[in-house]
Amino acid sequence: MINNQSNLSPQKIAYVAYVAVILFFLELPVIVVVLASFSDTSYLTIPPQGLTLRWYDEVLSDARYMSAIYTSVKLALCATIISLVLGTAASYALIRKKVPFAATISSAIMAPLIFPAVVIGVALLQFYSLIGIRGHFLTLVLSHVAITVPYVVRSVMSTMAGTDFTIEEAARTLGADALTAFRLVTLPMIRPGLIAGGLFSFIISFDNVPVTIFLLNVREITLPVKIFTAIEHGVDPSIAAISSIMIFVTGAFLVFAERWIGFHKFA
Amino acid sequence: MTNRLRIWLNASGIGLLSPLAIVLLLAFIAPVLIMFPTSLHPYTPGVGIGEGWTLENYVEIFSDSYYHEVILRSLGMAFSVMIFTIIIGCPLAYFLARMQSRARNWLVLLVIFPLLLNLVVRSFGWIALLSKHGLINDVLLSIGMIDEPLKLIFNLTGLIIGMTHIFLPFMVLLVMGSIQNIPVDLEEAAAVLGSNRTRVFFSIILPLSIPGLLSGSILVFILSISALVTPRLLGGPTYKVISTLIYDEFMQLLNWPAGSALAFVLTLIVLVVIWATGRFSKRWMAHLT
Repeated sequence: MINNQSNLSPQKIAYVAYVAVILFFLELPVIVVVLASFSDTSYLTIPPQGLTLRWYDEVLSDARYMSAIYTSVKLALCATIISLVLGTAASYALIRKKVPFAATISSAIMAPLIFPAVVIGVALLQFYSLIGIRGHFLTLVLSHVAITVPYVVRSVMSTMAGTDFTIEEAARTLGADALTAFRLVTLPMIRPGLIAGGLFSFIISFDNVPVTIFLLNVREITLPVKIFTAIEHGVDPSIAAISSIMIFVTGAFLVFAERWIGFHKFA
Repeated sequence: MTNRLRIWLNASGIGLLSPLAIVLLLAFIAPVLIMFPTSLHPYTPGVGIGEGWTLENYVEIFSDSYYHEVILRSLGMAFSVMIFTIIIGCPLAYFLARMQSRARNWLVLLVIFPLLLNLVVRSFGWIALLSKHGLINDVLLSIGMIDEPLKLIFNLTGLIIGMTHIFLPFMVLLVMGSIQNIPVDLEEAAAVLGSNRTRVFFSIILPLSIPGLLSGSILVFILSISALVTPRLLGGPTYKVISTLIYDEFMQLLNWPAGSALAFVLTLIVLVVIWATGRFSKRWMAHLT
């Protein structure tokens, strides 16, 4: 790699081949799931035998899957909006104000990132049972805010670190009140961080199983937990079909986010 | 609200921070703290959390051979996954960090993609690959490399393969970031001055990418030892690690005191690993400068 003009040496070819194999390994389970979803057999086969879309039809006309998708989207949207508002306010305070114990507060906000998710899950299960609100949708939203807000604070703070706040001060000097100055001047400047934080937050909330699984009631179940329990009951191509739908949506989401804000920079 | 209080809330940022602080208190800090007393109560069958105080739940974890087996297995699994992600991930990280073509961003997205894809879906992919009649066994059988299916799932092999795949992107992205910060000039200077590639790697790339390598390793280790979904799906209901055992104590056996104690042991392992790595990296940075 040092000398880019060098000819293709055997080592270099071997190296590129190695990289290709690792990238293939990374996508392998994805490819396998998509292939299995088209199989015309009632059990999982790869490569697919026959070619059918009936598993997609079955999944998309299954009311339980549809209601799981609805619950997941509703939960992820609520958690993301609250996370964005609270996380941006907190980031602004930590960067612009003289917060006492700022380092401790930052660590507390970031802690759910490294804390074992299963421990958070069982702790919440116990806490909400104790105060008698177990299974309520609000408990899910609050828990998801706690696990998504670190992503918002991280993206927003890193964007704020490169933001020139003298412009906001100029707006204040010229007579704008604090909220107006923030809304019209600072908010547009930190927009990329907000978008990245919001996208991360949505995915983290939508995908979460280890916390969510302890907090669900029987009627409202999220999509990943639904797939998780379906797998435990036995695998068949309909699970491959719903998984493939998630693969297509995630792929489209990634391409869209990359075009919009250069998503790879925030990963 | 008095005027002085309002000014203080504004200047200290407490006013802006308090809504998030309240949510974190209700959905993270208080629940974890309240679990501690539970771990000190006995378990009464049929009732759940019994009366009185006891250290029995912790004593059991440190004396029972089944707990020992599960804890050692979890530590061994997390450590193996960490080593495999280092070995597999570093060459890819270096390649991507030094690549100059426009395709680079899209290759990086190929690394990010599995990371964003739902964990259950990725684990399901590995079930399809590793199970008795899965793709890997089918291929190996049909080319005649093996005579009967290999046992690749519901054991340590399956867990390590699946988890290595799942946590590899973290390692690649973190090491890549740290290699990108090393100026290419430094490598070229060393090469011009007569260092061969091995020397350049060991005296420049490796020491300067230690921060990324270290944060990648610690992240992969703590994520592996805390993971619930993948061990549950690839380990099945019988091959257990700490986190799946906690899940069973809470959801199936309804022994919350024992589950809480085990949850604190898991948390303690994670915190000790983070603390120890923090000390090590401080020393390493002091050694470099």
